[in-house]
Parts: sequence; structure tokens; C-alpha cells
Amino acid sequence: MNLDVDFMISDMPTVVAALPSTLILSLDSMLWALVFALICGGAQLARVPVLDKVTLVINTFIKGIPLVVQLLFCYYAVPYVVKWFDGLMHRTYDPQHLPYFGAAVLALALNFGAYITDVVISSTRAIDRGQWESAYACGMTRFQALRRVVAPQIVVISLPNMTNYFIWLLKGTSLASIVNVVEMLTTARLSAADGYQFLEAYIDAAIIYWIVCAFIEWLSGRIYHSAGSYLLPPNASTA
Amino acid sequence: MESPMQIVSKVLPGIIAHIPQTLLYWFLPSVLALFFGALLCWARVSNRHRPLYWICTVVISFFRGTPGIVQIYIVFFGLPKLIWAIGYDVSDWTAGVYFVIATTLNLSCFMAETLRGGYLALDRGQVEAGLSIGFSRVQNFVHVIAPQTLKVALLNIKNLEIDVLKDTSVAYTIGAVEIMGYANRMISLRSGLGQLWILGTAAVIYFIMCTVLEVAFNLATRRISRFEGVSR
Repeated sequence: MNLDVDFMISDMPTVVAALPSTLILSLDSMLWALVFALICGGAQLARVPVLDKVTLVINTFIKGIPLVVQLLFCYYAVPYVVKWFDGLMHRTYDPQHLPYFGAAVLALALNFGAYITDVVISSTRAIDRGQWESAYACGMTRFQALRRVVAPQIVVISLPNMTNYFIWLLKGTSLASIVNVVEMLTTARLSAADGYQFLEAYIDAAIIYWIVCAFIEWLSGRIYHSAGSYLLPPNASTA
Repeated sequence: MESPMQIVSKVLPGIIAHIPQTLLYWFLPSVLALFFGALLCWARVSNRHRPLYWICTVVISFFRGTPGIVQIYIVFFGLPKLIWAIGYDVSDWTAGVYFVIATTLNLSCFMAETLRGGYLALDRGQVEAGLSIGFSRVQNFVHVIAPQTLKVALLNIKNLEIDVLKDTSVAYTIGAVEIMGYANRMISLRSGLGQLWILGTAAVIYFIMCTVLEVAFNLATRRISRFEGVSR
């Protein structure tokens, strides 16, 4: 087994340098996924006519399609969309610099938004009705009750699931490497192309993904433990 | 200029002809992972061999913490080197073999955690009751532990299997030909003409397959929990 350990070590800084682009892609996608999930989840929870059924159908369809297909679809659709928007708002697009990053964000956001919608709905339903009622009894409006009483609890309850999906999303961004988005895996591949040392570069990337995912999981556990301490039975921490 | 209907009708037979390939890439890892996942799970819950426990924990953490596509690449580039070092020539293995191996490794680790969740939810009294009526350890596993573990874990297994079915589409990145590989080849053959329609057709086929799988699992869930509420 001739593993080029020297190259693995010397290539590590190059791959680590691409970590921010992976994180930016993940955070961007997560943000839009949350927006999408809040719209869909809100529509379904509030039973908005038509919109709740439409979002349900869209989400079901998205969940049945591989992420790769969605990424490629958005990737191939970019030129058409750009051509359609060309000239609008005095913007002109350079056909040599198409916004593939945006396409990847859109695909990832829609894919994970569909899953996060379920998290939003289930964690909202997990809140005891008494919480709403006691907020109303204090004279709060619906919006005040949501903002001051219910929403903070939803955030805490949904944290473990959200972290899971964020880690899935972070791992999913590696698929963006097949649609011309320069992130960590693409960088690893390019850095290895000179000496055909792909295995070493991919192992580097895997190690970094592993560390980042483990760190996020640890951090989320810590946050959940302190923010969710009210969920524990009394004196559980001392026992 | 072809109409969308013409494009779809041209690629649809080819896509349908590649469904067996996709199903094979889904089925083989699923069956193997059920076996290896159970082994990994046993190593983690039996807790008798500390080194084995820690090795399994690290392996599971690695495969759960890294993207599937990276694992596929590592197996694709690394396994031939590894086997070459032992003295075998694997140059005639197709890309599908590497995909199945990588997916099996990945899925085994997820399956191990899922089964562990089911096993930990199992009431200790059930195990003791089985032993007390004279079951051997194997009988106890087959008649008491396995069915109840599966019952609890089945919902998560369903989600895993649907994910695996969808992730077979990644196989085309190392050159295996299944639905996505075929769709991609058609796109390049046609120089990208009608690419959105080809992808859309593939998407619908994947959606139908996922729906069928989901319905099948729902039926299995209903069957496996048919005694629910009878005993209590």
C-alpha cells in the first residue's frame, strides 16, 4: 500500500483553506432552507387554503428525488433563467460567469427545506396547548404569544433535529462539486490532479469533514444541554 | 427542434431499462448492511470487548461524519491499491462494485446506530422472560429480540432505505451506469439538448420508486406491529 503520506500532510493546508467556502455554502443553503421551511410549515400549521396543499405536494415530490438530480436540474436551468432575467433591473449577465453557486444554494435549500418543514411542524405541535393559553390569559396577542412564549421553545425543541439536518446539509454540499461549485471536495480534486494523488487528497477532505461534523455535533449538544435545561426533570443535573 | 414529448418518449425506454441496475445498487448494500450493521450493533451494545467497542465507535463516527461521495471516491481510488498490495489484480472490476462496497460500508454504520436505538428501547424484561421459558440465546434472539428491535427501528430503516435508493444516483460520478448515469450519458450524447426534460423524466421515475418503497415499508410496519395493543 503506497499511500503518499508526505503529500497528504503537505496538501492539508490547501484543502483546509477551502473549508470556508464549504461552510458559506452550507450556511447560505441552511438560511434559505429555513426560510422555505418556515413558509411551508407556517402554511400547513395555519391551514392556509390552497397554499398548505401546494406546499405539501411540493415537499413530497422533493423528498422523492435524489439531491444529485435536483442539483443538476438547477445547474442546467441556470442559463435559461439568466437569459430570462437578462436586462431586468438593468442587470446584464456575463455568460462566462454564470451564478452556479446560487444554483447549488437553491437546490440544497429546496431539498433540505422540505425535510426541515417536518421539523418545524412537529416541534410546533410538540408545544403544549397550555403554553398558548397561558400566554393569551396574560393578555398577549397571537403574535406576542408566538414571539415571547412559543417560538423560543420551538427553537430549543427543534435543535437536535436541526443539527442533524445541518450536518446532512454540510455533507450534501460535497455533491455541489459535480456542478462546478468550488468547495472543499473540488479543491481537493484539483490539488491532486497534478500527481494523480486523488486518494490522499480525498482522505484529507474526509478527515476535515469528520472533524467539522463532530465539532458541530458537540457544540449543538452543549447548547441543547444549557438552553434545554428547563426540559429536564427538577434536580436531574445534581443526580 | 424536438418537442418535449418527443424527447421524453425517446429517453423513457432507456431510463426504464436501467431501473434494474438502480434496484441492484440499492438492494445489495441494503441486505449486506443489515448483516454488517447487526454485527456492528452487537459489538457496541454487548460491550464485553472494550477495544472492539472503541474501534466500532470510531468507524461508525467516521462513516457518519463524512459525505457519502467522499467515501465512494476513497473506496474507488483506495481499494484497488489496497488489494494490489495483497497481490490481487482487480482492474476488471466495474465501478458498480466499488459503489456497492462503499455504500455497504456507509449504510452498515447508519444501520448499526438505527438497530442500536431499537435494541436499547427493548424492555429488559422481554429478554429475561425469553430466557426464563428455556430459550437458548439464539432462539431468544430470533423469537424475542430481533422482531421487537425491528419493530421499533423500522421507521428509521425506512428513511435510511429511501435515502440509499436516492443516493444510488451518486454512482454515476465514478462511472457506474444506472438511471442517473444513463440520463447523464443521454445529455452528453445530445449535447445538452432537452437536458431539463431528461432530468425531469429521471426525477419522476425516482419519485415513483421512492413512493413504492415507502408504501411497501408502511405495509411492513403495519404487519410487524399487528399484535400492538393485543397483549396489554
